[in-house]
Order: sequence, then C-alpha cells, then structure tokens
Amino acid sequence: MNNLRLGKKMTYKNKLALLALCSALFAAGTAMAKPGNADKGKEVYDKRCTWCHGAEGDGAGAAQDYLNPPPRDFTSGNYKIKTSSFEDMTPNDDDIFRMIRDGMPGTAMPGWSDLLSEQEMWDLAAYLKSFAGFDKPPEKQVDYGTQVKSSAESIEKGKKLFEDGDRCVECHGKSGKGSASKRLKGGGGERTWPRNLTKPWTFIGSSDPKDIYTRISTGIAGTEMPSFADPKSKNVLSVEERWHVANYVESLAKTGMTVNAENTVIKADKVEGELPATTDDKRWNESVPTAFYLVPQIIGEERYFKPSNDTIIVRAMYNDKMVALLMEWDDRTKSIPGDESAEKIADEPIAEDGVAVQLPVVIPTEMRKPYFGMGDESHPVNIWHWKSGTKSEPEAANLLNSLGFKAIEKRDAAAVGLKTVSSYSDGTWKVLMYRPLTTQAADKDIQFAEGKFIPVAFAAWDGSNNSEKGSKHTMTTWYWLLLKPATGSRPLVAALAIMVLFAGGLLWWARSAGRAAGRQH
Amino acid sequence: MNTTQKRRIPLLLQMALVIFGTYFGFILVFDVLLGQLIPKSLLTMYMVFVVSGVLMVYTFTEEGTRELTAPIKALVEDPSKRNIRNVVFVIVPLLAGYYTYSSMLPSFDPPTELRTIHPAPPNKFKAYGKSFDLTKLENPYRKFEKEDPAKFKEHVREGGDVYIKNCQYCHGDKLDGKGPYAPGLNPTPLNFQDVGTIAQLQESFLFWRIATGGPGLPDEAAPWISSMPIWENFITEDETWKVILFLYDYTGRRPRTWEHE
Repeated sequence: MNNLRLGKKMTYKNKLALLALCSALFAAGTAMAKPGNADKGKEVYDKRCTWCHGAEGDGAGAAQDYLNPPPRDFTSGNYKIKTSSFEDMTPNDDDIFRMIRDGMPGTAMPGWSDLLSEQEMWDLAAYLKSFAGFDKPPEKQVDYGTQVKSSAESIEKGKKLFEDGDRCVECHGKSGKGSASKRLKGGGGERTWPRNLTKPWTFIGSSDPKDIYTRISTGIAGTEMPSFADPKSKNVLSVEERWHVANYVESLAKTGMTVNAENTVIKADKVEGELPATTDDKRWNESVPTAFYLVPQIIGEERYFKPSNDTIIVRAMYNDKMVALLMEWDDRTKSIPGDESAEKIADEPIAEDGVAVQLPVVIPTEMRKPYFGMGDESHPVNIWHWKSGTKSEPEAANLLNSLGFKAIEKRDAAAVGLKTVSSYSDGTWKVLMYRPLTTQAADKDIQFAEGKFIPVAFAAWDGSNNSEKGSKHTMTTWYWLLLKPATGSRPLVAALAIMVLFAGGLLWWARSAGRAAGRQH
Repeated sequence: MNTTQKRRIPLLLQMALVIFGTYFGFILVFDVLLGQLIPKSLLTMYMVFVVSGVLMVYTFTEEGTRELTAPIKALVEDPSKRNIRNVVFVIVPLLAGYYTYSSMLPSFDPPTELRTIHPAPPNKFKAYGKSFDLTKLENPYRKFEKEDPAKFKEHVREGGDVYIKNCQYCHGDKLDGKGPYAPGLNPTPLNFQDVGTIAQLQESFLFWRIATGGPGLPDEAAPWISSMPIWENFITEDETWKVILFLYDYTGRRPRTWEHE
C-alpha cells in the first residue's frame, strides 16, 4: 500500500482517458494495440524504468527493497492486471499499455502519459514483453458475457457468494478489510497483504466493476489471489455470479471515509452530561468524522518503508470537564505479542499495535508550532500513546512529553487523568482517549480551551508489519482540533437588531423625504 | 441632457459594473486561470481600495454626484416608485440581517499559514561536521560534464539510485512532486520539473536544502511543518552532490550559476 495517489480525480481521469482511447480505437476499427518498436522501447526503459524495475527487467532496481508491492519482475511473466484468460499467462499489449499510461494506484508506479508520448508507451510495452519472451498475442480472453448492472439484488447475491464457503472471506475478511486468518506470500516470497476492499483508491487495477470482474476472473498472477473462472477450482463462479461479486465488492467502498484534502479541522461538538464511554456509543455517529492520510515515518532513524495502512479517521467531543478523541483505523491484524493466533499470521517477532495523538503543550498564538516530528527544543509536545498490550500485560495509555525524538520524558498518565478505551473488530481498531480539559501542571500539559485552533497530529503502529522498532510507524503532519463553542443566540439577536435598525432608518428617510416633497408642493 | 448622454449606461449601474467586474476579474484570474486561491483578507483589502477609488472618481464633480444619487433619491421620493421602494425596503434589512448573522457565526476555517518556499539562504551553514560557505560552494562533479562525459553519466546514474531509494516517496518517480506519499504532506513536496523550482536555484542552494532539511530552514519558511528530512543523517556529502546532478539531468533543467548573473 505504497500509494496514496488517488481517488476520485484519478479514477475520473482514468475514465476520461479510457473513454478517449476507446473511442479512438473504435474510430480506427482495427486491432486494439498499436505496433510498438521494442528497440525504441529499450531507450525509454533505460532512462525511466530501470530505477525500480532493474536494467534486466527483473525488478532488481535500486528501489527494490523499499517498495511494497515490490517493482514488477518482467522476466517472471506474471502480469497482475491483464484481460487475457486465466489459462494464458500472456497479457494483451493493451493491458501493459494501460498500466504504463495510468499507473497503478496503491503502488509506487505512476502514470506516464504526461512524460511519454503514446508511441513511446507502445514501444515500451513491446520491449517489456520481450523480457518474458512473449511473442504471440494471448489465445483466450476473459469472457465478460453480459454485464450485470449493479443493483440491491445483485449486491445481495454477490454478498452471499463472497461469504459462501469462505470463498473471499478467507483472505479479505467479512468486512472486506482483509482481516486475514492466513499468511500470504507473493511470487518473490515477499509478504503480501490481501486488498482492503473498502479502500477503492488502493485497487491497483482500478475499482470499476468491470475491472473488479476481470480480477476475479483472471486471479492476480504472482499472488495467492486465484481465478474464480477456473472450472477446476471448488470455488468456481459462473459469469453472472462473478458480476454479482464484482458489484458487491464495489459496494464495500467506504466513500464517506475518504480523505478530503480541504478538511483539516477536527470539530469537537460540546455535549451536555457525560461523554460516550465506549467506542461504539451511538452518539459517535453524530460526530463528523475527519479522515487524514497516514504516511510512513521516513524522516528519522529507523525509517519505515512498507506501511500497511494509509488513513486514520478521527472524531471528537467535549463537555465542561473532559475532551474525548475517537481514533479509527484499519489494521488487518490484532497484534498481541505472545498470542498464538496473532503470531501465526504475522511475521515474527510481532510488536503491539498502537496509536498516538500529539498536541503542543502550549497552544500557539502565532504561526509558530512545535516541529511536527515530536516537537523541538523550545516547543514541547504532549504525546498520548495507546498500546494494545501483550499476552501478559494489559493494554495501556502512556503519556510522554517530548522536545524532539531524542528528548522524551515518560510521565504518569493516570495522574493527569488520561484514559483510553479500545475495541478491535474485523480489521478495524477504535481507540477512545479522554483527558480533563485542564490539569494541575499548565507548564507540562496542554490546557484545552473552546474556540481555539489546536494543532494535532497522529501516529499509528501495526505490530504485525515491521513495527518491532518504535520508529516504524505511520504518521500525519499537523492538522487542527477545534472545540466548537456552543453558538448561543448572539448572532441571531444581533441580526434582528441590525434588521430593525435598517428598516427604521429607511422608513425615517422615506418619511422625511415624503414630508420634504409635501412642503415643495 | 443631450442625446449622447441619454444612450450612456446610468452612472450608478456603471459604478456597480466596475466594482463587480473588478471583483470577479480577480477571482477569474487567480482562482480559475492561475489556480492560486486569492486569500479572502487580501481580496477584501483590494476591494476596499477599488470601491473607494471608484467612489472618488464618480463623485469628483457635483454633477456626477447628483447623477449618481439621483436613482436612489427617486426611489425614496418619487411616489410612482412606491412598489419598488417597498420591495427594496424589505430586501435591504434582510440582507443586512443575514450578513450580520453569518459574520457573527464562529468561523471554522483554520488560520492560514503563509511561508516562503525559497527563503534567502544564509552565507554559511554547518553540515557533515564542517562549515560551508554558500557564496563559494560548487558541485565538485559538475566539471565532469565537459571534462569527462562518461564519468559524468556514471555520477548521474549513482545520483539516480540515491534518489529512487530516498526521495521518490514524496517527490515522485517523475520528479514532479507527486510521489506516493505526497498527498499526506503539507506543505506538498516540490515539483522539480516545474520551471519555478530547481531551474531558478544554484546547486549550492540545493545542497544546503538537502543537507539540513526542513529543520534547517529559517523561520519565515516554517521549518516546523516541512517534512523534508535532515539528509546529512542518511546520505553522504558525495551522494548529495550526485543526487543534485541527477535532478538537473532527469528534468533537463540547468542550475543557475554566478556566471550567468
């Protein structure tokens, strides 16, 4: 999950480009692909592609060890995203062309259409095929039959097929978040994670139902995703059934949870009485969720290159005594060191999962904030750090004061009233953190105040994915937390007063003008 | 009044057209054409100048003032315009009330952060355990471009390896500032393909920016939010110079030098 490049814009652009291409091809009325010149393709390849894919096309470029998924090894002949039948390894030229042009969301592969001409991309496609010795077009294509349009009925059927006999659930989990019960490996022996189907922006071959249908039909070469069109499989699905599953998978997208770059403020509503005591309290549904991108920590030792999660969702509430923050993020594994079922599916050794909230000790009145990576010498931060616990130790809330990552002071969380409540269910962690609005030590703890824009940042750890080092986590840059003051009646009163004033003034003007006119007559 | 004046647009309408035309002109040029949102406070300030300027021009002569205010006066005083007057007298207080209400609602727009992207560099800075003089600093590998092109190419290649292992996550495979993690960062990573970035800078400036990273920025550039790592912790002095060669080579840009200035 290396790529956050995304979502709506990308898909829209893809669609537009695809539409343009389709109509162009239709107009031409000839074979799909244009002939490419492999020799010319080599020139482009040597300048643009070797960095990741290697001079020999074997995926052994300089970036090989830093990317997940790793750069494609073209010599293996495994093409993940293709439209030829599962029985035939050979991809269509068009499949290769499309990946070069549009890139692969959820990976480090960008789309190249802004830097390369169409002919150059066809040339590249011809050259890439030569690495695996593909010299003939594939003999069989995916059978699309008649597309079943998405409907409540089709989605319902798809859901049944998805869950039936653990067909898809085995790896993707019931929620589709990929909360797996199985360790998965890629063609190169590397650890792979099942796709989180609720995040369509990470689908490397696009989240259009037709593309999802294709993946279900061909499987994904070089991974454990099998073909469900293969009659030899006990899980085989008919053409129609595959359309139902594709429609169901499309419906899993949690579009309300996607990041809106404009939305940088977590707005905490003021509530009367007690704050919610659990992560599933119904009142959280009324709180507006704010989603942020998580990026891996690559600014300080040791760096973290292969994260397994890319977003975190935050909600907040407060009352006259306390503030509560609810963090929600996807994690395929509940990582409890010492727990057998957790260790079975993880790469050992596993560490605890965790989440942290970072706040400045002093709410800035000017632009100057503490350094976003754990504060700096003159600007300390509070860090509220929850850890999921081990088999022998319970989960815990920790409080840290930090002046940069080399100057961290551990403090007593209970003494300042910092408390946490957590829950894990089918690929989702939810952690609720509370703290009194004010504390005894104003020089050490942030003192919350209504209506102020408070910088806030987050971090998350996946203990089953390289997190034995504390520095290997994902994080956000600074965003804002706002304790929304109750509006009260002041704006309304003021508005009414202004209206009366204006109306009165206008009437007086009209009357005096009328009188003046009367005198003139 | 003569005939030419009669065909003219009434002064009040003219004034309204000029003011709104300027307002939407600003929005069209900055927000739509240039894609650079013009800050609200700045626009308000400009419009105050525009409105007061326009008012001054239109009320420069007494005749002008009279003509300008005539339609308003007529609306209030002319009994035949009673219906329009009543409508205006309802709408104006409502608008004023609405404006007051919405401006008194608490704002949830976060404070804007203005920062200098390419701040003035210091004369001297410390990195790799020594002091560098930016006024004299040059890329030790640049000379091979003429003297030994094969060797130069090799250095560019080495710089490319450094780039792809360290920089592409944010600045992108295509050096366009759209790496996989770019959407999660604010400020966003620099686009080296753009004419406004490395093409405007000297190699020594890049060396300073890379070696000392975000925390090495002066205060006007908001070092506390920059995600640029302190690269002297991760790559050697040599590697830094080589990656600079690569940035210019891949984008086809030329560094600025003292000679050209």
